[in-house]
Amino acid sequence: MNADILNLLRDPAGVPFYPIVFQGLYILTWALHALFVFLSIGSLGLSLYGTYKQKEDETWKVITPHLIQTGKLSVSLLIVLGVAPLLFTQVIYDPNWYTINTLSGLWVVIFIYTLLVGYSMYYWYYYANKKGSSSSKLIGVISFCLLVFAGLLMHVFSVQSIQPEKWMQWYAPNGVVDTSGLTFNPENIRFLFLMSLSIPAIGLFLQNYSDFLQSTKKLSIELLERVKNLGRKISTFGFFINLVLFLAWTFQINKMADIYTILIVVFTVIMLFISNKMNNSYFSSILFIVFLLAISGFREYLRFNIMNNLGYNVYDYPLNIEWASVSMFILTFLSLGGIGVTFIGTMAWKVGKSDGYFDASKDKAVTFMANSLLWILSSWCVVYFAWGFFVLFKNSL
Amino acid sequence: MEQIGMFPLFYFPEIGSAWIMGITGTIHILASHTSVGAALLFAFLAHKAYKEDRTDLYEYMKKYGMFLLIFSYVVGSITGPGIWYTATAASPRGISALIHNFVWVWATEWVFFVFEVVGVFALVYFINKIDRKTHLKLTYSFALASVGTLFLIIGIISFMMWPGNDAFYQTGSVSDAFFGLTTFPHLFLRVGFMIMMSGVIGMIIASALSNKELKIELIRKMGVISFIGGFITLISFMWYMTTLPDNAKLLLEIYMADMIRDKVILIVVFSIYFAIAILKPLFINRAFAITMLFVVAIFGLWPGEKLRESIRKPYVVGQYVYSNQIMGREVPGKNIKNEVEIIAKHGLLKTNVWIPERLKTITETNKLEVGKLLTKIACSNCHSLEKTGKFRPLLDKFKGQDKDMIKSFLEYSLATGAIPYMPRIDLPDEEFDAIATWIANQNKEN
Repeated sequence: MNADILNLLRDPAGVPFYPIVFQGLYILTWALHALFVFLSIGSLGLSLYGTYKQKEDETWKVITPHLIQTGKLSVSLLIVLGVAPLLFTQVIYDPNWYTINTLSGLWVVIFIYTLLVGYSMYYWYYYANKKGSSSSKLIGVISFCLLVFAGLLMHVFSVQSIQPEKWMQWYAPNGVVDTSGLTFNPENIRFLFLMSLSIPAIGLFLQNYSDFLQSTKKLSIELLERVKNLGRKISTFGFFINLVLFLAWTFQINKMADIYTILIVVFTVIMLFISNKMNNSYFSSILFIVFLLAISGFREYLRFNIMNNLGYNVYDYPLNIEWASVSMFILTFLSLGGIGVTFIGTMAWKVGKSDGYFDASKDKAVTFMANSLLWILSSWCVVYFAWGFFVLFKNSL
Repeated sequence: MEQIGMFPLFYFPEIGSAWIMGITGTIHILASHTSVGAALLFAFLAHKAYKEDRTDLYEYMKKYGMFLLIFSYVVGSITGPGIWYTATAASPRGISALIHNFVWVWATEWVFFVFEVVGVFALVYFINKIDRKTHLKLTYSFALASVGTLFLIIGIISFMMWPGNDAFYQTGSVSDAFFGLTTFPHLFLRVGFMIMMSGVIGMIIASALSNKELKIELIRKMGVISFIGGFITLISFMWYMTTLPDNAKLLLEIYMADMIRDKVILIVVFSIYFAIAILKPLFINRAFAITMLFVVAIFGLWPGEKLRESIRKPYVVGQYVYSNQIMGREVPGKNIKNEVEIIAKHGLLKTNVWIPERLKTITETNKLEVGKLLTKIACSNCHSLEKTGKFRPLLDKFKGQDKDMIKSFLEYSLATGAIPYMPRIDLPDEEFDAIATWIANQNKEN
């Protein structure tokens, strides 16, 4: 694929805002999505080990259901957060996105149903474990395999999309067109590196879990200490594995001496020590999110350079700015996104810290957020109809 | 030479890639409409439970909420992006057109979606864990946010049919595209259906309750709610039909007799069902209620979505993106050119960048192969190409015709755009010849 063709594949309508904004949003939302991908795979994976240990070990008896619950919530969040990077990437890298979605069209369909069955089975696993059913292990393993396979498919779409020089060969090997949508070319070390980030994610989560519950006295201090130590060991081991696989991956793609690679290597080493030594696990977790942002940025750095070298520069995308809808997004993001998520997050935190009941009506900040949220949503609906009828009458009468 | 930015072709044999999207879409619509309807019902029940101090209703809400969480949000949240994904594989340029118009609308919907997904867990797990007044505010916010997602997506899917006036084509503005002629009737049609679905699902949950009095009370209420929802759906549907473009109305005439018959049967069946719920609530048991949910999905939703998809033809988006990825008209507001003329002048083989070198020139040895490929590119979004194809099989349309007759049809009907529900496909003589040769050859083998 040469530059002319890549630029021809761009949508003729142009982009509705500055490409750098979409690029930034992509990096940010991918990191958030990845956080919950790793947390869900990590907690589901560790819970499978827990199902074998929970009968005779008190620690695993306590944490296994909590790990399953964490994974269950995380899958929901990874799905919803995953929509955003997919949205932003296809605005500025549409030639890559749409080509791969057609070349691997059948895998795209398989991905959706794999995720659907995998997540449905996760709920089954949750209820089976709750009932103490012996089949829960098998159900959990199948769910885990399906979710990892869904991750593999998504990884395949990503790596294929940054190899434009192979697209034509995949579509028409030896000049014979193949419309089956079965193109499938994984990059194993990269996938293993990404999956291995689940290990420190769950290690840090266990440390957070222990710190959070220390003050509530719901569980014994000894048990929480054991959990924290386990978390430390897992995260330290995890960051070590990450380091090895990251070096292997960058060696494979000939980027080992790149400045960005060196930066991530240093960051991984810092994370390795911090996750082991730092007593305040919340701080380590915040740093882990920054670490994921760095990984997300690295992925985009690779893609940008590959495409730029081929003559496709996202910053050259023709602009067709759309102020009305961008204003709607920003206002909704700040108001509903900011207050709504803070409102629920605050309540979840306080319910967790309480002895099972939290009277939010006596909490001024929570009550203020609840009332504001209702005002924001009602006003949003009024603006929607006013805007809609104005436009409709303007264009129809 | 001018080329056009088409993408590679993905084709699913026998049923076509568009049907794959339709199946995913139907599952999603069932789940998503149920979830929004249930959010409204949840707010109504929470309001009632709070005002009347009904602890029994909280128990019902908890059960309903778990169902809502598992069924609607697991299925809905995956199949939502699923439609988008499968639609991308089937109609990449159609989805690209939507994305490059509405990315900020989708991003706004995503904010609602994040709040909804976090909110649904809070809504269910916080029952009896936070005070009821705050929980009530949470249910109101959740209901408003759920309806908000509908408000946002409705403008996009209505635009897929058409904007309804010329403004968008000239300005390229999202407002003009989003608030088209069909947007509001389509919105109320969906709201009505969601209300009805909340009642249909509510009956499944209520029918399993052990408290007899509560069971009777709730099944009756669900019957009334479903009636109201069904009535709104019906009235809005009729309104919606009046706002459709001419090509859709023309296609509707073909389906009209069957459609009216099916709708009347559905109305009668569901009126009886809802009447039973109101008058003889104990007749409604769980198996009966679940069966009726599947009746809605299989006989109501699937044909409805298929019809909406069909009557949009020959376009997939805004009456300018043809189903076969070609831009079928100028959109000055978005700098979009009509590509039909470019293809007519140079042919698909020269303008489509995905044609392998060895097939760019037609020879006696590759003619059948080229004919098949051109047919796939031009026709397979709406027709399956196999002899046993299920999705508007193409070969059946030419049964008994020889190559010349097929070519005449291509040159005089297809190339001139004489059939309003088919894209205008004007190709050079040798490309039409290759297509006609392949079709005739396939039918001969038949």
